[in-house]
Amino acid sequence: MAINLNPVDVVVIGLGAAGGVAVLPLARAGLRIAGIEAGTWMDPHRDFLPDEIHNNVRREVTTGHKVKREIPTVRVGPNDTARQAAVHPMMNAIGGTSIHYWAQSWRLKPWDFRTRSESIRRYGASAIPQGTTLEDWPLTYDDLEPYYDIIEHEVGVSGKAGNIQGKLDPAGNVFEGPRRNEYPMPPLRGSGFSEHMADAARSLGWKPFRPPAAINTQPYRGRSACVYHGYCSAGGCHVGAKNSTAITTIPEAQKTGNLAIFDRAQVTRIAVDANGRASGAIYIRDGREYMQPARVVLLGGYTYENTRLLLLSKSPAFPNGLSNRHGQVGKHYFGHWVNNVNALFPFDINVWYGLPAQGTSVDEWADDNFDHSGMGFIGGASLHVYTERHPIDGAAMGTYGRSPRWGSAWKRFVHDNAARVAWTYLQTNTLPYETLHLDLDPTVRDPLGDPVCRLTTGGSRENERRALQHAQDKMEQWFRAAGAIEVTKPLASEPGVSTHAYGGTRMGDNPETNVVNRWGLSHEVPNLGILGASVMGSSGARNPTLTLQALSWRTAEHVARNWNSLL
Amino acid sequence: MSDSAQLTRRALIASAAFVPLSALTLSAQRTPTALSVVQLRTLEAFIDRLVPRDELGPGAVDAGAQVYIDRVLAGPNSAEKSTFVQGLEVVDSYARRVHGAPLAELPPEKRDQVLTAAETENAQFFNRVLRLTLEGMFGDPFYGGNRNFAGWDLIRYPGPRPAVDADLQRMDVYPAPYRRSPHGTQYK
Repeated sequence: MAINLNPVDVVVIGLGAAGGVAVLPLARAGLRIAGIEAGTWMDPHRDFLPDEIHNNVRREVTTGHKVKREIPTVRVGPNDTARQAAVHPMMNAIGGTSIHYWAQSWRLKPWDFRTRSESIRRYGASAIPQGTTLEDWPLTYDDLEPYYDIIEHEVGVSGKAGNIQGKLDPAGNVFEGPRRNEYPMPPLRGSGFSEHMADAARSLGWKPFRPPAAINTQPYRGRSACVYHGYCSAGGCHVGAKNSTAITTIPEAQKTGNLAIFDRAQVTRIAVDANGRASGAIYIRDGREYMQPARVVLLGGYTYENTRLLLLSKSPAFPNGLSNRHGQVGKHYFGHWVNNVNALFPFDINVWYGLPAQGTSVDEWADDNFDHSGMGFIGGASLHVYTERHPIDGAAMGTYGRSPRWGSAWKRFVHDNAARVAWTYLQTNTLPYETLHLDLDPTVRDPLGDPVCRLTTGGSRENERRALQHAQDKMEQWFRAAGAIEVTKPLASEPGVSTHAYGGTRMGDNPETNVVNRWGLSHEVPNLGILGASVMGSSGARNPTLTLQALSWRTAEHVARNWNSLL
Repeated sequence: MSDSAQLTRRALIASAAFVPLSALTLSAQRTPTALSVVQLRTLEAFIDRLVPRDELGPGAVDAGAQVYIDRVLAGPNSAEKSTFVQGLEVVDSYARRVHGAPLAELPPEKRDQVLTAAETENAQFFNRVLRLTLEGMFGDPFYGGNRNFAGWDLIRYPGPRPAVDADLQRMDVYPAPYRRSPHGTQYK
C-alpha cells in the first residue's frame, strides 16, 4: 500500500523545462508545492564535460534511469507492429531537457496561432492540407506575449529584437511579432562563419539575424556568460551560462520555502477521487510507493509521458484514462518535421567551437512570410546555420563522392575537409493529422509492468515534405551564394520519436477535440493542468521550448490567481 | 583473465608487425577488456587498413583505437560483444577461404580486398567497426584511443578548450592546436 504523505496545495509532476518554470509563480503566490522528478540534480563539475564520448556517444547528459526503461515504440500505420525506438528523447533530471538542449528560445509568430483561419483567408479553404486536424489556437500571440516576456527575463534569453511595439529593426528578425521589450541580453556573438553566411544571405536580398537563445551573453543574475567552448549540444554548461530551469526558476522557487523537491521519484499514476477530481500523484521512490495528495495536479512530463500517464491513470470516473472521455488523449500528436542540408566549402570555415544556438538564421521561407499561391503547401521552414562540431562527428562527415570511406585516400580527404563542412537546421511549420496518434503499446512494458507509449506516425505528409523541400532549395541557394562547392539535401521523412514532440493533450476551446482548455486545465478534470509541448496544436517553424515555458507560466499563474474557484 | 594469460596476450600483441611498442604503454589493464588475443589481432588487422599509417601520420592501431573498442565491448557496449565477435569471425573465415590465411597474416593489399568485400557483403558489421574506429581514433584519449592526439591532428581539430574567444572562431586564421584532455593531462 502506498504511504500517504501530508497534503500540499499543488503537486507538479516533472521538474523539467515546463514544470521547472511553473513552480515559480506558484511558489511566489504562497502555494505549497511538491515537485516530483524521476531524476536528480546533475553536478556541473562531474557531469558537464567537453567530451564527445561522454555527451554524444554515451549520451550521459540526455537520458536517465526511468527513460531507459520505457522507450516508446513506433509504427507507421495501424496494421504495422510497433518496434521500440533506439532512444527516448525524454530526460530524467532536475531541469530535464533544458540542461542539454540547444537553448534556442524562439517566440512563435502571430500566424502560428491562427494558421487555419489565416490560410483560408489568404488562399481559400482548399489550402488546408487534407487530413489535418489543425485548429486555430484558443489564444493569440498577443495573449501569450506578456508571458514570453516574463520567461525571457526570468530564465534569461539573449537576442536582438526585430519588432518592438511595431517598430522594426533589421538587426533583429523583422518577421517576428511585436514585442513589448528588447531581450534582456544582447545576442550571442557572431563567428567568422556565421558572419560569412550573413553576408551571403544579404547578397540574396534576405534579412539574416542572430537567433535568440536561453544562454547568457553577459553575466546575468549571478550566472556566468557563455564561453563558446563547443560542447553545448547534448551537454550541460559547466559555467552555468545555459539557463536550464535547474539553475534559474527552480532555485528561485526554492528560495520562497514553498517548493519541496522529491527527486528519484517515479510517478506511476495520477490519483482520482470519487468525484472525478485529481487527488494527487502516486510515485515510487527507493522501492516504496507513496501517495502525495494535492488540491491541484500539474502534469509536466515529456509529451510521450503526459499521454502515457493519463492513459495509465484509469478510474471508475475515467475508465479510458484520465481526462479522456472524448478519446482525445494521444490525438493530434506529431513530431516536428526537421531536416538538414550540408555543404562543403573550398576553404576552412572553422566551426569546431561555438554552440548550435550561435549562428545565422533566415525567416524569409518560414510561416506565411512569402506568397504560397500555387505552391501546394502552407507554412515553410526557418533556416539556421550554426557552429559547434565535434571531432568524431567531424571525421564521420560524408565524402560527397570525392573519396572512399576509408584508407589513405580517406585520410587525406578528412584531413583537408573536416574543417570545411557546414550543417543546417531547417524546422518546418508542422501540423497534426488524423492518422498520427499516441497510445499504449499492447505488448511492450516497462519493468513495473506498465505499457510504454506507442507512436503511430501515419506515413509521409505532402504538406510538410513540400515545405521542407522548398526550404532545402533555398538553403542550397544560400550555401552556393556563400561559395559552397558541394551541397547535399537529404530526403525528408516522417519523424519517429522526436526531441520536438507535440500534442496528445491539445489545448483548445472545444472539449470534444481538445484535452485542455485555453488555460491549460483539463476540460474534464478542473483541478488538473497539463504543461509542455503536448498542449501545442501546431509547431511553428522553430524550437518549442520558450513557447511551452510561456504557456506553463501562464497556466501556473492562472491556477494561483483563481485558486478559490478551482477548488 | 589470469596474469599468465595477460602476459601471453601482451607478448602476442607485441609480436604483431603493425603494432608499435608505444601502443603497449597504455594497455596496462586498468579497465576490463572483451576480446581474446586472436580476436584482438583480427580487429587490429582490420582497423589498420581503415585508417592506415602513412605519410599523413599514425593509423588507427598507432592511435589505440583497438584499445578503445576492446574496452567498450567489455563495458558500455557489452550488449553488442557477441555480434561483434561473430562479425570478426565471419571476416576472418572469409580471409582464410579466399586468401588462404587469417586476416592478421595477410599483407595490406589482401586485407584491403577482404575489407572491400566486407563493406558490401557484411555491411552492418563493417559499418560498426568503422564507427567504433572513428570513436576510438577521434574521441578523447581518456577512453584508450586517440593516442598522442593522433586523430585530432589528422582532422585538424584544435582540441577542447575551457573557454574560446572570438579569435579562435575566425575563418581567416586557423586556431592553434590545444592538446589536453578534460579528464587530466596524463594522456598528453
